[in-house]
Amino acid sequence: MSVSVDDVGLTVTGAADEPLLVSFDGAYVWSTTPARDGVRQLPGRIQVGWPDVLAPYLDGRSRVQVTRTDGTVLHDAEVALGAGHGRISVVDGQGHPLSVDKVGHLARAFADTSEVVREEILAGTGRVLEDLRGPGGVEAYLNYGALLGAIRDGRMLGHDTDTDVCYLSAHGDPVDVIRESYRVERVMRDRGWDVLRMSGGDFKILLPLSDGRNCHIDVFVAFHAAGRFFQLGNRSGQLERSAILPVSTVSLHGHDFPAPADPEAMLAFVYGPGWRTPDPSFKYADPPAGIRRLDGWLRGFRSDMPAWSEHHAAHRGRPETPSEFGQVVAARLAPEVPVVDLGAGRGRDALHFARRGHEVRAYDFSRPAVAQVRRRAERAGLPVTAERLLLDELRFVAAIGGQLARSAPELYSRQLLGCLTPHARAHLWRLARMATVAGGAFHLEYAATGPGPLPSPGPGGLVRRLDPDLVAREIAASGGVVDDQQLLATGEDPRVARLQVRWPRAVPDLSDLEEEIHVRAH
Amino acid sequence: MSELTDRARRRARGVARRARDRYQAPHAIEARLRALEEEAQEARQLQRRVAELTDVVTELLIPIHLRDDARVEEVLERYRSRL
Repeated sequence: MSVSVDDVGLTVTGAADEPLLVSFDGAYVWSTTPARDGVRQLPGRIQVGWPDVLAPYLDGRSRVQVTRTDGTVLHDAEVALGAGHGRISVVDGQGHPLSVDKVGHLARAFADTSEVVREEILAGTGRVLEDLRGPGGVEAYLNYGALLGAIRDGRMLGHDTDTDVCYLSAHGDPVDVIRESYRVERVMRDRGWDVLRMSGGDFKILLPLSDGRNCHIDVFVAFHAAGRFFQLGNRSGQLERSAILPVSTVSLHGHDFPAPADPEAMLAFVYGPGWRTPDPSFKYADPPAGIRRLDGWLRGFRSDMPAWSEHHAAHRGRPETPSEFGQVVAARLAPEVPVVDLGAGRGRDALHFARRGHEVRAYDFSRPAVAQVRRRAERAGLPVTAERLLLDELRFVAAIGGQLARSAPELYSRQLLGCLTPHARAHLWRLARMATVAGGAFHLEYAATGPGPLPSPGPGGLVRRLDPDLVAREIAASGGVVDDQQLLATGEDPRVARLQVRWPRAVPDLSDLEEEIHVRAH
Repeated sequence: MSELTDRARRRARGVARRARDRYQAPHAIEARLRALEEEAQEARQLQRRVAELTDVVTELLIPIHLRDDARVEEVLERYRSRL
């Protein structure tokens, strides 16, 4: 086999059905199995393109080494990529080396992690498992790369980037599996963990490390349903309960962890029959029918979240002035009325309302956005409370809607509507109706469709234009009454709709009913 | 003669219909499969919605039933803060 390297990627001549490891200036960055990942060009020649996540880094010079897993060198030469100026350096913001993991993300590999940090990750994983098995009350076990490393030689895999744990649910219906996951999440939050929910069946524990990073420990549910075994990420197939419970114990760098009863059976289920042979280029081949089921049951409420979080993180600290609509609404609000900014982003309007003397609650579904609003408000000494709100999730809508109803606030949102799914829009109207039950209106602006072609209204195709008739029908169906609607061009968008909506009380509340009953009785 | 012609016509129509069905059937089946997959996905999505609803109701309803305002406030705050 021979390998050449250029701007497109690797070109491999000869048998190409084994994993190859690629490093730049001695730092491991990626591995691939060309026969699986590449495109056949001529007989006996395969080209594998660079992964998309590496593209932003591939400009400069580097000594590129391509080796087999046994260390045999197939390519070792200085290569110029892109304009070819400077050295190529695939590192994070703090200068830590990154590599492409098995799901195509850039992450930091254990081979490049200090012993101190590795110990922190292992101890943290142990505490997570203890909390899941103890107060969490679930049968949790170590799994995936960490389990594979433990069974192979008691050490973390050099090219792995995180630790994953699973628990076998006691339930067989997805609805109960999800409820159990919510309960376990609450327990973990009570135990002080920083938790990020990823789907109805998994969440991440963000473990802060002494080198400034957060290690993500995935907590995946596993369950038997519809005659199959499912284990998140996306695994599905056949694995008996007896292969998992009662848990056994494995050792990793001297730390003991609970593991499946039959670790070999679990590893064969996860990685296939060839799991004993090291393959850093391994990729899952999950049955599409299982993925469809898991997508339908558990997912779909945070599809745009990574893109929004990336957007807000990239614009961190960038100064913002209040929007035109924010200023218009601020000018017509009664003094001192509390304001709720829904979809507040990094807080350009929320802070404006607060500067004018309003107590403000700012909501956004992006963690980086909420963090920036908090930081900016704290720095400016402004009365802004920032929290996350996932409008696709009824749990957020019901709990926050109930809480807001007590303060009778004025609601405000700009550019939120076009970011939402139809389901989330229905929840937005529900939330607005709940929050304004004791008075107050919802002031909103969104990018509207028009007769001619109009520009995309937000970053990266994340915001859509909406038909004002559709919005009007949805509001009416929720019991809302539009006090005021304008379609206009502003300095920020050629066609926006501005509305003020109220939800008149159609049904008396419980206290009214009680009074009525009291009057009738006497 | 006319009976023969009629039979030939009927046969020709039958051949044409079968040819049309053979051409259209796979497309109709593909469209039905797509629709069924979408409908199956809609039904699956109810699992999470029912889970959310049940979670909210079971966590928040009991203190509300007890008409204990302070407890309602506390439970609501705790529920929200752990989302």
